[in-house]
Amino acid sequence: MTDSEIVEKAKAYLGGKALEVANPSLRRIFITVAPGDLAAAVTALRDHMGFLYLATISGVDDKDDFELLYHFGNEHVCLNVRTRIPKSAPRIASITPVIPGAIFYERELQDMFGIIVENIPDPRPLVLPDDWPAENFPLRKDWKFERPEEKIPGGKP
Amino acid sequence: MKVTIPIGPQHPALKEPISLRMTVDGEVIKDADLRLGYNHRGLEKLAEEKTWVQNIYLTERICGICSHSHATCFVQGVEKLMEIDPPKRGLYIRILVSELERAHSHLLWLGIAGHEAGFDSFFMYTWRDREIVMDLLEIISGNRVHYAINTLGGVRRDVDEAQRAKILGSLDTLRKRTEFYLMIGANEPSFVARLARVGYLSKDDAVALCAVGPTARASGVARDVRKDDPYAVYGEVPFEVCTADSCDVLGRTVVRVKELLQSYNIIEFLMKNLPEGSIAVKAPRKAKPNEVVSRYEAPRGENIHYIKSNGTDKPERLKVRAPTLANYAATVKMLKNGFIADIPLIFAAIDPCICCAERTVEVVDARSGEERTLRFSELRRMAGERFEKVSQKRNAAWPF
Repeated sequence: MTDSEIVEKAKAYLGGKALEVANPSLRRIFITVAPGDLAAAVTALRDHMGFLYLATISGVDDKDDFELLYHFGNEHVCLNVRTRIPKSAPRIASITPVIPGAIFYERELQDMFGIIVENIPDPRPLVLPDDWPAENFPLRKDWKFERPEEKIPGGKP
Repeated sequence: MKVTIPIGPQHPALKEPISLRMTVDGEVIKDADLRLGYNHRGLEKLAEEKTWVQNIYLTERICGICSHSHATCFVQGVEKLMEIDPPKRGLYIRILVSELERAHSHLLWLGIAGHEAGFDSFFMYTWRDREIVMDLLEIISGNRVHYAINTLGGVRRDVDEAQRAKILGSLDTLRKRTEFYLMIGANEPSFVARLARVGYLSKDDAVALCAVGPTARASGVARDVRKDDPYAVYGEVPFEVCTADSCDVLGRTVVRVKELLQSYNIIEFLMKNLPEGSIAVKAPRKAKPNEVVSRYEAPRGENIHYIKSNGTDKPERLKVRAPTLANYAATVKMLKNGFIADIPLIFAAIDPCICCAERTVEVVDARSGEERTLRFSELRRMAGERFEKVSQKRNAAWPF
């Protein structure tokens, strides 16, 4: 199946949900959807087009917004579903009811960007430790690492 | 009665630090929980502060076994961003190193599978033969672990006639030995009895939980980026995707041994059809604002890098997903309803690479027992208090 056939099929199944469909290079398709339509779009892609495999979710800090990319793959192409959510209200619905394997990537997203994934079955931190200070989200652009002052136990005061 | 057993982050059965929580009822695992974050490295954040060339060496250090995988995945993405095409000879050498790396990684894994199954002579045999591959990698790149062969626009070292003859000559021994391992892996009664029906992962679960690599292929899911999304020169190299239907650790062993034989065929094809010409083109220092999704089939499964450029000499964002993270959800499924004694075997069967999966934040620890939780900061404070009380330790004379 060629790229253009998949683009046509995706447009037919997603209808008005696909705000923008791009095919910038061979076997790479980018589809932009509204955050509210994400779960419905992912369901349609899974049921009708065989995109069962979610490779990962990438978050990008883009000024006032967060851009989320859900990278799917099948035997023909790599399809990326893009959505944008405002930084002031970073909320996105979980896609684990559709793709159970998304759980680790959604937990990572919560840790690194402070995005609240709604209805996530397991909201515990994944990559950050238990005693990580609250409201510190390392992959946001305004977060800078400051090395804590080193104290040697038993050393000179 | 249900008991929770913590395994790791430091444990003799684990080669790398990861924390597992097993809820057991007698000998049977009822629930399994994986806790990451013991040794996170802040790599994605760090990559935003380094230039494109510096990042090749950074991504190479994501993993010590599949070091070439991450570097290649990154480099071929950046080449697309910079709109440069590496010459064919460069791509052939890049893929040659990839396949040699796959061979050494699978031979290493076979040894570990033998060791975890209590079959240590198998471990010694495979690791001896792995040295042949390591020597080949050393004569090509000068290094045994971080080959540093990739650069933007091609590779850094050429392969000469003598090296080519040496590589082709070594393949006979490797083929003969691997066929012997396939025979043992599929026929040796005690080995088969130990591996069969352990760590069951059905095809439906492998699909639903997005498993990758040999773990998915042993459950009958023919998912291989080299075939699905042929990068570099894989479009013109003949090879087969190896699968198994047994869905257990035995299937994962057989898949890996068959992949070894395929890798040798690919190496032979590459060496016999090595095109003439240059090995690299010059790359620009900056990349235009754009984005790229780069995929690569590492020995453990699919690597995916999402790279976004902003017009400078540094990336705006580098997202790395290593195959081990993709297989964790499936591992939890495999461990459930298994036996405690099978934990090392099941966990080793995904060929876990903790340092690949743990790449995002700084070194921290949280350790919890069955009854109480002690945080690392508390432990540190307690250690400090204790040291302060020990008076003779303070201002102690250095013994030498």
